[in-house]
Amino acid sequence: MTLVLPPKPRTWPKTLLIAGALVAFTVLTCLPAIGGVELDFASIAKNWRHGASKLAQLAQPDFSFLPRTWVPMLETIQMAVVGAVVAAAVSVPLTLWASRPTNPNSVTRGIVRTIINVIRSVPDLVYATILVALTGVGALPGLITLFLFDLGVVVKLVSEAIDSDKHAYLEAGHAAGATQFQLNRALALPQSLPLFANQWLYALELNVRISAILGIVGAGGIGRLLNERFGFYAYDDVSVIILEILVVVILIEVASNLLRRRLA
Amino acid sequence: MSALPAPPSKTQATVWSVIAGLAILACLVFLDVDWAALLGLPKSSWEYGVLMFSDPTWSKLPRALFETWRSISMAWLGAIGCVVISIPLGMLAAHGVGPTWLRLALRGLFAVIRAVPEVIIALILLTVTGLTPFTGALALGIAGIGTQGKWVYETIESLNDDASEAVSAAGGGKAAVLRWALWPAALPTLMSFALYRFELNIRMSAVLGLVGAGGIGSMLSNYTNFREWGTVGMLLIVVIVATMLVDLVSGAIRRRIMEGSRARGLVRRR
Amino acid sequence: MTNTAHAAGAPASAAWPIRLENASVTYPNGTAALKNVTLTIEPGEMVAVVGLSGSGKSTLIRTVNGLVPVTSGSVTVGPHEVSALKGRGMRELRSNVGMIFQAFNLAERVNVYRNTLVGRFAAQNALRSFFGVASPDDRRMALEALDSVGMLDKVWTRAGSLSGGQKQRVAIARALSQDPRVMLADEPVASLDPPTAHAVMHELTRLNAERGLTVLVNLHLMDLARDYTTRMIGLRYGEVVYDGPAASATDADFEQIYGRRIQPQDRLGAS
Repeated sequence: MTLVLPPKPRTWPKTLLIAGALVAFTVLTCLPAIGGVELDFASIAKNWRHGASKLAQLAQPDFSFLPRTWVPMLETIQMAVVGAVVAAAVSVPLTLWASRPTNPNSVTRGIVRTIINVIRSVPDLVYATILVALTGVGALPGLITLFLFDLGVVVKLVSEAIDSDKHAYLEAGHAAGATQFQLNRALALPQSLPLFANQWLYALELNVRISAILGIVGAGGIGRLLNERFGFYAYDDVSVIILEILVVVILIEVASNLLRRRLA
Repeated sequence: MSALPAPPSKTQATVWSVIAGLAILACLVFLDVDWAALLGLPKSSWEYGVLMFSDPTWSKLPRALFETWRSISMAWLGAIGCVVISIPLGMLAAHGVGPTWLRLALRGLFAVIRAVPEVIIALILLTVTGLTPFTGALALGIAGIGTQGKWVYETIESLNDDASEAVSAAGGGKAAVLRWALWPAALPTLMSFALYRFELNIRMSAVLGLVGAGGIGSMLSNYTNFREWGTVGMLLIVVIVATMLVDLVSGAIRRRIMEGSRARGLVRRR
Repeated sequence: MTNTAHAAGAPASAAWPIRLENASVTYPNGTAALKNVTLTIEPGEMVAVVGLSGSGKSTLIRTVNGLVPVTSGSVTVGPHEVSALKGRGMRELRSNVGMIFQAFNLAERVNVYRNTLVGRFAAQNALRSFFGVASPDDRRMALEALDSVGMLDKVWTRAGSLSGGQKQRVAIARALSQDPRVMLADEPVASLDPPTAHAVMHELTRLNAERGLTVLVNLHLMDLARDYTTRMIGLRYGEVVYDGPAASATDADFEQIYGRRIQPQDRLGAS
């Protein structure tokens, strides 16, 4: 008895096309002539031996350097906190404007969303570099950078969460003759507070990580010290700073997780 | 009217709010900020905005596009490297795949890499291997392993057991379960995460350029130092457009992938 | 539009009639939900609208307060012609029309008091709304409304921790605090167990009797329509197929409205 099989679906042309596109894209990225990256594995091997001694130094932190790091580290934390708080305040009206249930007007909603998308397209250190040139070295450009970055994160994530939730109480509020503003202020805001709190804490965690490096371009915090020590090839000091950043980041994450559980 | 019950006590919330408020105030007050500059900010940002965007230096656009491709290439190759390493490692770090000691060791490695900010990983790598785009790609590849590995093992663990049980019941070993049950189910999500890694890398590559690895970031850094605002404005526009384009295309592809996988789970191929 | 003070339980401001004339609603996706409906509901009547899902009940009740606009024809509630209203005028109409829903539509994380206060928003000015401070009159009306439905002891409780029946009573209080002329109820008991359903229907009947409110209730259960309302309108595929006294509606009448034989799930059962 011979078996009659149904025809096998021809998926290979499509798969070939996708694989081909990926390979072509990758090849294009490896051509230095048009700006691609030159894959120079040989130089890696060569530099590696030079770098080995640097790595060895990194593995031996010099803890006597710690006292010099307290003030810059404190500045890092202060920038992170203030940036997160100011961004949290401003994020509330912006997020409500950017979400459909709380802002039925698609024009203003589109404008706010586009502005936020543009803000999110610029990396944090790019903001910092330009702001340092605008306002001078110090904590101010760092604060503004963190503020912009946090706005981008919080508004996008919370507005998407609000969009995907059901808000039946809004229909009842409209049926009672209330304005959108009244409903947003009295009901939508308390209802979405857990979403906000979640992202505000996340922004705080991100802030600590980012503000630690903003100093590399002069925007305040411990990054400046880090860059300076790098420049002097003092890798034992560098590793102490890195460890310190690690500790603070982990502490903030733990504290933030505890807060999340209390607030939820 | 019957008796109105007493409103709940607000003392605890008030006390905590006051403490939090004081802490935030302390951070603010002791921060060394040039408050005069802050007040002048709206005006000066308008002035600089005009300088940057009223007449962007389009003549330098070809060079900008060249450097943009360099950044995109760094991001792409870094993403490939990161994904290629993190998928096997992440799978081994998932419950029920590898031995416990390996799982814990790998998860610890991911956590450590994740905790250190990517720029610092990049700086360390760059000092070891030199300031070139290739090392930038390398740095992006290694720095992303922490987060990517975590996503991989979380994805594997969130798959339901049906297919794995079926393969084991038919006599397949760990490798067979991996190849025939876990891999096909996890593939769409893993591909989606890989594309997301590319999107994240695009932003990171500009930052690496700022610290010297080449690409659009280094061009931005140079012209900002030269205070050539017309060029800076043009570069910002290029960065914004390029990032938004990549996000758009990559986001659309990711949505197609996830929708496709959902559909395939429910409907047999005709 | 001043909703001035009045003692709880006394007759409300004079109830309004509802009039639909050739009202049709076609949704953007092409579904014709209502077809040429002409109805008059006198002030103070308690009317049930019955029909299966998809018969147009939800659409009909929402044309009364403008939540769904009519595509043709007219809807008149009291002195207001609904389709001509928007913005402030629409809000004024809605402030006189109370509505309760199948899913209660309360804000779960917000306490009962603030949920009830929503009924006073139409009368509240922007400054009070921004700071979340209600006027003494608004506060009193909200609390009295809660008291009249027996939910005053839960006034500071989060709405999310209440049972279904309690939530619906809070929703009724919210509507009552508007001092409305018309009460709309869209399947108010569909999510409630039989004893609670009977209690809520009883509440609606009481409001109709004590305050003389015009009440329009969507129901999908036959016995509730027969037991609690005086007039019944049957809808099928967007058209009125029955309009008569509720108590004397026979099973055959219901079969005509439903377009199928009566089934056990069409009856609620004893309280």
